[in-house]
Amino acid sequence: MSIPPIFLTESTLRALAADLLGAGTQVIAPVAVEVRTSPSASASAACRHPGAAPVEIEYRVLGDAAGLDLGRRLPVLSLKQFFLPAHEALCRWRQRGTTVQVEAVPTEFAPQVVLAAKPCDSAALAVVDKVMNWDYADELWNGRRAATTIINLACPVIDESCFCTAVGASPDCTKGADALLTPVAGGYLLEATTEKGWAFLAAHAERLKSDAGKGGEEPLGHQAADERAAARARAAANLEIDAASVRAWIDSHFEDPLLAALAVRCNGCGACTSVCPTCHCFDIVDEEEGVGRGTRRRCWDTCQAPTFTLHASGHNPRDDQNSRYRQRINHKFAIYPLKFGEVLCTGCGRCTRVCHAGQDLVEILAAIDVVARRPSTTTPGAPDTEAAS
Amino acid sequence: MSIYLPQLATVTDLVDETPDTRTLRLELQDAAARARFAFKAGQFGEYSVFGAGESTFCIASPPTRQGFIECSFKAVGKVTTALREVNIGDTVGFRGPYGNWFPVDDWKGNDIVFVAGGIGLAPVRCVIWNVLDRRDEFGDVTIVYGARSVEDLVYKRELQEWSSRPDVRMVATVDPGGQTAEWTGEVGYVTPVVEKTAPAAANAVAVLCGPPIVVKLTLPVLAKLGFADEAIFTTLENRMKCGLGKCGRCNIGPVYVCKDGPVFTAAQLKQLPPEF
Repeated sequence: MSIPPIFLTESTLRALAADLLGAGTQVIAPVAVEVRTSPSASASAACRHPGAAPVEIEYRVLGDAAGLDLGRRLPVLSLKQFFLPAHEALCRWRQRGTTVQVEAVPTEFAPQVVLAAKPCDSAALAVVDKVMNWDYADELWNGRRAATTIINLACPVIDESCFCTAVGASPDCTKGADALLTPVAGGYLLEATTEKGWAFLAAHAERLKSDAGKGGEEPLGHQAADERAAARARAAANLEIDAASVRAWIDSHFEDPLLAALAVRCNGCGACTSVCPTCHCFDIVDEEEGVGRGTRRRCWDTCQAPTFTLHASGHNPRDDQNSRYRQRINHKFAIYPLKFGEVLCTGCGRCTRVCHAGQDLVEILAAIDVVARRPSTTTPGAPDTEAAS
Repeated sequence: MSIYLPQLATVTDLVDETPDTRTLRLELQDAAARARFAFKAGQFGEYSVFGAGESTFCIASPPTRQGFIECSFKAVGKVTTALREVNIGDTVGFRGPYGNWFPVDDWKGNDIVFVAGGIGLAPVRCVIWNVLDRRDEFGDVTIVYGARSVEDLVYKRELQEWSSRPDVRMVATVDPGGQTAEWTGEVGYVTPVVEKTAPAAANAVAVLCGPPIVVKLTLPVLAKLGFADEAIFTTLENRMKCGLGKCGRCNIGPVYVCKDGPVFTAAQLKQLPPEF
């Protein structure tokens, strides 16, 4: 089944959001949020963007259609938070004497729509689907995925930290999403790519008809294609790697000094794993809520913390930051691809932008790519390891 | 229903093995779940005290004894300390069984040598009883167990029982200085005892579990005795939370210990990055 792209103006897009909200459907979309931090942080943000109000873009549950931000900037946190919340209940318990009652949490969710999602964020959901479904199915993740229709907005590529095209995504991909909006003169072209997407178009056919004939479709199609090709070229200019060679090199150079050298600035704060759309590692903790009752929760955790792998005996298999950073690189670019056939990264660049120590994943992958493509195993800057393998 | 929902279990027995190690016997409260429950030697579970959280231990009782499971743990962390406070009749949570298992059925007709150190006897005990409950199916059974001191030996009554069985060769050893005046076992590390007592490797498998140093030092001894890497089985410990291959914690190299393990052959161990 295929439906030709539909032209719609921005006002129709906002009207569509209003229709959804009016029908009681939860809509998640980028919104501009005023930065509320310490006075000094606000001042420094203001310095960086002179004249502009200090705002950040965040995915939020939309209150009204006017709040939808179509500026195509990158939300600080990815869409992950709406599928694997920073913390969520797994069950609740009540205990009285020797008797315990455990109450399950619902794993079915009301339908919701994500508007103007970043393609790197929807792609991340499709990547994480794999680990959430090998053998045991995570019903909380799957329930939210099933309930959600995701409409991407083609990305212009944010800055030099973007590298989606190097890791199997692209600024206009619909991986993990159901439809794509591409900006064209006077509005957007909307095309659905999944059954859920087609059902969405059908459900809102009345509204989407309103701009019919306003844009001549053929030239707009070319415009959209050009816009998307230009963005792909911008992303590719930031980083091109041979993913298979990178995977093979990481897999076979566990103790290579290059990996330690690339980890040197990391101080293990874990900010990268929080903002990452694909990092999904979690902790499970009990939270008491008064005497004899409480909630078992899972919450985001980070492989960059020493406690992540600390055994009760005191033994820690990854007891220095180098080994923890190496694990992050390994898990994303070697282990996950070997196990699930996909790189655990969609090139959003958030980890680089958020890192206060200056760890730059574009730089790191480029460095690994250089040695991975090189026929000899010589590592630059490590002359004592020049032995051929 | 969520895969993270625990089943409820009643503590029906408890044994203090050492000053800091306890064994709990648990029975699932739901009769249908209890009847349905099945596991294989080597699998593990997530045990919880509500309010303290979940902790990961192997199932230390054998699958040949039904209606209950046992776990043994050292009270060293928040959950294990809380588990040590529970009494007979109390309710705890259990999720499982998880992970892979020892291929006991493949060992029919083989001699088996069990080597364990400290609390590492818990997963091995499950296999020992599983084998002894089906004694006719296997060849010679040798058990080598070492602990730091006599006080640190776990399952003391069972060590006695295994020692007195004519169809088991049982040697216990304690580290030098850990013996008492009454101690009649060996004194010294497990490795020389393994070298002395292990059966001929030709038709044998080895089951090994203990602190990393015991595993590290015993593997070369078994190799020297002629055991192939594929005939040496061990069970790995790694910190876990979900037990279901989701939370990422136990991942080492290409394996998630909770799902690809916890049971590995020495051949598989050698494929993993040196990160234990």
